[in-house]
Amino acid sequence: MTFSDREILETVRMIELETLDIRATTLGISLFDCADPDLESTCEKVYAKVIHHARTLVEVANSISEDYGIPIVNKRIAVTPVAWIAAASGAADLTPLARALDAAAAEVGVDFIGGFTAYVEKGFTSSDAALMDSIPTALAETERVCSSISLATTRAGINMDAVKRFAEVVKAAAELTADKGGLGCTKLVCFCNAVQDNPFVAGAHIGVGEPETVLNVGVSGPGVVRSALARLDPGADLLAVAETIKRTAFKITRMGELVGREAARRLGTTFGIVDISLAPTPAAGDSVSDILELIGVDRTGAPGTTAALALLTDAVKKGGAMASSSVGGLSGAFIPVSEDAGMIRAVQEGALSLAKLEAMTSVCSVGLDMVAVPGDTPVATIAGIIADEMAIGMINNKTTAVRIVPVPGHGPGDTVEWGGLLGTGIVQDPGRFSATVLTGRGGKIPAPLQGYKN
Amino acid sequence: MARRFLTVEDIRLAPGHEIVVDAGTVVTPQALEAAEAAGIAIRSPDGAWREPPPDRGPDAERRMASLPHMPEPEANPSLASTAIVTAVGRNRPGVMAEITAAIAEEQGNIHDVSQKVVEGFYHMILTVELRPEASFDQFKTRLECMGNPDDFAVRVMNERVFRFMHRV
Repeated sequence: MTFSDREILETVRMIELETLDIRATTLGISLFDCADPDLESTCEKVYAKVIHHARTLVEVANSISEDYGIPIVNKRIAVTPVAWIAAASGAADLTPLARALDAAAAEVGVDFIGGFTAYVEKGFTSSDAALMDSIPTALAETERVCSSISLATTRAGINMDAVKRFAEVVKAAAELTADKGGLGCTKLVCFCNAVQDNPFVAGAHIGVGEPETVLNVGVSGPGVVRSALARLDPGADLLAVAETIKRTAFKITRMGELVGREAARRLGTTFGIVDISLAPTPAAGDSVSDILELIGVDRTGAPGTTAALALLTDAVKKGGAMASSSVGGLSGAFIPVSEDAGMIRAVQEGALSLAKLEAMTSVCSVGLDMVAVPGDTPVATIAGIIADEMAIGMINNKTTAVRIVPVPGHGPGDTVEWGGLLGTGIVQDPGRFSATVLTGRGGKIPAPLQGYKN
Repeated sequence: MARRFLTVEDIRLAPGHEIVVDAGTVVTPQALEAAEAAGIAIRSPDGAWREPPPDRGPDAERRMASLPHMPEPEANPSLASTAIVTAVGRNRPGVMAEITAAIAEEQGNIHDVSQKVVEGFYHMILTVELRPEASFDQFKTRLECMGNPDDFAVRVMNERVFRFMHRV
């Protein structure tokens, strides 16, 4: 098989100059067999099983990087929601399980392990309640553990009691990590229509229908899409823009497929999915916001941004679906504010408000992600923001999420550095009006007609 | 199904000085320590216990075998060890000879060459078939160590990358 010079140089350029990389290879490990009436034994089994299965993960990922010349940035682990595993123990404090996961992740050399998770969209089991109560301490005491909670689905509606409780957990997690700018909340996310094979943290976990172990891949590549659009004639119409994004997404997805297959083969496990989300990093040029501005808005957040993002997300999905039969996870475009240099600038310049961001989440692949608000934001306001986001997901049959950080001691306009991929948070003003009565009512918002599809 | 785990609690409750576990049982690190401290030997049916290879689940193998066809060589495994070598640098006499000599020393068989010089800089693309028993790693290291930032740079990539990216 021969390739033209143009094809070969395009690939080399993507890797050398346009920061094409595989964002995450995530090994999913089922922990169902670790359940034990004794919490200490559960922890022991969890620790042993994670290490047993993930011992060679980093080595395998590095060897693939080496052999194929494609950087694999993060190696991660996703596990069965801990609330399900801990149920048999009846324990009220599940922090020891978080510590066991953290220790295992450190031992095998991965930077994050996701799965301190519960599903409460219809109600709490005792174990779900114990997990929720343990989250603030668990996130403060561990470095690598990520936590996620399913609060709503299109089928079940929104559990508003859980929304309020989650908002309280967010506040408590921020307070316990006040010295680090509320860092605990950067590892905590809630979902509507949670995805059970998501390879990206903080929402990574593996659900009930997943196999014993599974290798999922998250590709990235906003830099590649950005460069392709930058080369496009500025007068090109939007069909040409969509086509360019689609073609580029195809190529990026194929790299994910190659790495996923190869990693699964070398580990001897099942290849799960490629998540084709464009995931920005704080590095210059690796920005979803830059893409939106190249499509044609002055600044991200200006009128037209939601339309541009809708075009982007849809074209990415179409290119990805053509490239792989195993597209899954969240797949689309992420808009984590603090992790994207272009979005940080848009917030600083007053172009991107929280309200506009919420509108954008109706067409992006996840939701309000890495948003900083003042530390003294009331619980009812945070619960209101979450409820709005859950409602968008529920009605539109899509996944939405909220990862919000009430930064202790910070007010609107202040800056907080979380470091690394988490980037720089600019505290945004959620306004002075709240939803005290709505969130105080409790109960649930019933499932919409869209949920009754049988 | 074989016993999944042996924990400290199991060691504590063990009646004798020996525990026999299934070949696939995972003994936790804490249980290993506890057993050693208590002088209890852990055995599997066919001798001393050793950590088993990870059990990836009953359908892992089948799922790998049934992945949909991708643009992979079907009946020609030799293609699996084809390398695409790209070199970029300032043009001077002997550059191509140096690179191709190194490829020859590694017994690589050049299938295709393309070279252009633009404004004193050249770029060269070579498709090289490696011997079936050759190490891709060794070939890559050898070639990528050539040149220097002021002269030329070589990059070696597996042909699979291009096949996945550019062929439907």
